Amino acid sequence: MSRKMILRVPKFQEPKRMEKSEAQRLWLLLKDAIVEVQHMNASTLSFEELYRSSYSLVIAKRGDILYTGLEEVNNHHTKNLLDKIAQAVDERFLIELNSQWQQYKLQQIMIHDILMYLDRMYVKEPQLKVFDLGMFKWKQNVLIHSQINDRLVRMLLGLIHMERNGEVIDGALMKSLIQMYVDVSLKEKETYKQEFEERFLLATSHFYKSESNLFITNNSCGAYLKKVEIRLIEEEARIKQYLDESTGPKLIKACEDELIANHMQTMIEMETGCRTMIQNDRFNELKLMYRLFQRVENGLVHLKNEFAGYVRNEGHKIVNQPENLKDPNALITSLIEIRNRFEKTLSQSFANNRDFINSVNTAFESFLNENDKLSESLALFIDKKLRGGFKDSNDQEIDVIMNKVILLFRFLSDKDVFKKFYEHYLAKRLLSGRSFSEDLERTMISKFKQECGNQFTSKMEGMFTDMRLSKDALDGFKNYLQTSVEMGKLPKIDMSVRVLTQGFWPTFPPHSCTLPPLLSQYCDLFTKYYCHAHTGRRIIWQTNIGTAEVTFRLPKKTHVLALSTYQMLIMLLFNDAEKLSLKQMAAGTSISFMDIQRSVKPLYSGKYKVLKRTPAVEKSKELSENDIFELNLNLKCKLHRIKFAATSQTDSEPERQHTRQRVDEDRKIEIDAAIVRIMKSRKALIHNDLIVECTKQLSSRFVPQTSMIKKRIENLIEREYLERFPDDRRRYRYLA
Amino acid sequence: MEIYENYQKFSNDLKNLLNSNDNFSDFQIVCRSIISNKETLFNCHKSILSARSDYFKSMFNSKMKEFHEGKLILTDASQGIVSEIINYFYTGKIQLTSNNAIEILIFSSKYLIDELIQVSSDFVKKY
Repeated sequence: MSRKMILRVPKFQEPKRMEKSEAQRLWLLLKDAIVEVQHMNASTLSFEELYRSSYSLVIAKRGDILYTGLEEVNNHHTKNLLDKIAQAVDERFLIELNSQWQQYKLQQIMIHDILMYLDRMYVKEPQLKVFDLGMFKWKQNVLIHSQINDRLVRMLLGLIHMERNGEVIDGALMKSLIQMYVDVSLKEKETYKQEFEERFLLATSHFYKSESNLFITNNSCGAYLKKVEIRLIEEEARIKQYLDESTGPKLIKACEDELIANHMQTMIEMETGCRTMIQNDRFNELKLMYRLFQRVENGLVHLKNEFAGYVRNEGHKIVNQPENLKDPNALITSLIEIRNRFEKTLSQSFANNRDFINSVNTAFESFLNENDKLSESLALFIDKKLRGGFKDSNDQEIDVIMNKVILLFRFLSDKDVFKKFYEHYLAKRLLSGRSFSEDLERTMISKFKQECGNQFTSKMEGMFTDMRLSKDALDGFKNYLQTSVEMGKLPKIDMSVRVLTQGFWPTFPPHSCTLPPLLSQYCDLFTKYYCHAHTGRRIIWQTNIGTAEVTFRLPKKTHVLALSTYQMLIMLLFNDAEKLSLKQMAAGTSISFMDIQRSVKPLYSGKYKVLKRTPAVEKSKELSENDIFELNLNLKCKLHRIKFAATSQTDSEPERQHTRQRVDEDRKIEIDAAIVRIMKSRKALIHNDLIVECTKQLSSRFVPQTSMIKKRIENLIEREYLERFPDDRRRYRYLA
Repeated sequence: MEIYENYQKFSNDLKNLLNSNDNFSDFQIVCRSIISNKETLFNCHKSILSARSDYFKSMFNSKMKEFHEGKLILTDASQGIVSEIINYFYTGKIQLTSNNAIEILIFSSKYLIDELIQVSSDFVKKY
């Protein structure tokens, strides 16, 4: 655009100064129109003319005439309306009020439309906008007038009360009248809150306080919960139907306080309450309770504590039940059962809430470690399963049981004790050939490995390797025998040897015995063969865990007896003697008297008796050194092969003690290692910190006793790994 | 996703609607000159006017004389300006010149067409 251009200014550019009379004329024109609008006669008025009039007044700076005039007209009008409305009786009151209000609102919109120019260009804060002015006048002269307000609120609350008692009321009317309180509020719904909401919430609390008290004393907890849920749904609907949405949270809170929070303790303790529901696995009722308690502060804490308390109590009963203490299988089975049961409660009722799960786990941890036999029981339980207990289960069922075992295992604080027992029973299974399936053995071990890492299972895996290598060694030995010169001189026997790497296997208590010359020779041959093939290795014979088959010739019949090595040795003595005392047996075999006792017992007191005591005495009587036995030549048995238990199934108390002792030995080493590790990195440390750190490091394997750690520290000081600071006896220094 | 926009065609089509004298028109704006008493008719549409201007929206909402008669008579604006403003309501386009700028400013101030008040007063200020 060029600079030369000149703006064309229209002729009528400056508004003329408006005479007062002209201004008055325009206002009267508008006033008449407003009165017409208030009588609902607007259709003949010209919008443009009215708009133009208000425009003219404003630009002539006479907006004040219009605004104050409008205020007066509204004032007058609303005062007239008040009389009309207040006269209406009973339910006509609400209807009259509502219809006047609806009309009034429409009129105010229309007045606002006409006076749009005034509204936009003249009205300045703190003056009210044209529409708000109308609302304010209604509020001032009608709504909060003493003749209206209290009457209205009482009637509205009365209707809501009726509806809560099951009667049908006019929801649309309610909505319109309640919304009126919101519409006349100038900011933040203050009129609504002050005049209506506050009283409504109070009435609500009153209503539900008395209803809930009455209902809960006359009904079961389950019925009460259902009632509460229905009430909450109803109130939610009420908010949508005719309350302002800002009331929603407050109303629901008031209901929750009265219906749930105030009765929580009752619902937990009452006869039909939470405790009973948990006891009787009432999943649906518990689920409802969970859902409702969730809504109030600390609700779930109450429920969770109650549940965890029940779990702890049940668990405590199981681990202390006398029958369970005797029968590890029953103990673990019951534990798995309650675990399943509580998992079901957790998933079906408590939405698998993490806090709930954690508190159940904590409960398990506490009662499982109440009993120091649990590690062993668990190992025995698996032992039984792996010896054939899994025979009738499919893969999936086996997996479920194994996972449950792992779960219980996870709660054990002394995992090292469990590990010792597990290794012990695994060794027994492998050596006696009683393991049901190597695959299952390996699956179980891999689960422990996942849980605790390589270190935990390396020995167990080593045992399997030994079993495999032993087979190879034995095959090699058989070939060697065929080519051996000495072989020709010896009678053939079928000998099987297992080479166990020391360290992988539990150390069996050392026992000695005298083998018959033939066997001795074979053993020597094997040692010669093996040490030749693997230089640097040393073989120690563990005769006490072997087995043997012996032919037993009776006058009429021949049996094969499956015996332990010791039993075989004892039986062989009878080749040269008719009667032997226990003392003589011990002398002849060099077996300890205790082992003699244990080995002989199954031979004379089991179902098939190959030995008999002479003279016959009561069975229960303890064996003494001088008791005399002879072969039972009258043995009656249909079986050709007779199997004898080597010793009793479960370990004897001394053996168990032995395992415990080994655990303690191992712990010493672990604690030493932990202390040295910590001190090596920290160089100097205060006593208490060292104890804490050490306990922390070892907690995945066992919970060390402080006294034990103290002893180990003393020991390490003696061995000059550590020293005390001369000036501060509580501090230790690492000595490189 | 691809958004296709063609405001040019949209604007042209609405301009044709305004000029077509068709039967869809449901509202007339009559521009009457006080001096010559000459009348100019614009055939418009309530829906478009009320969508584009609060003045018309209020007018149609209040259901007064103009709504019932389907006619608005304007006496204080020139035919040319009224035509340009109506054209702007339909097409979203208006040409500001030194000739019309002040009149457009006055008209849009009266009828509260905020964006036109803005552009026309900016235009005027440049001189």
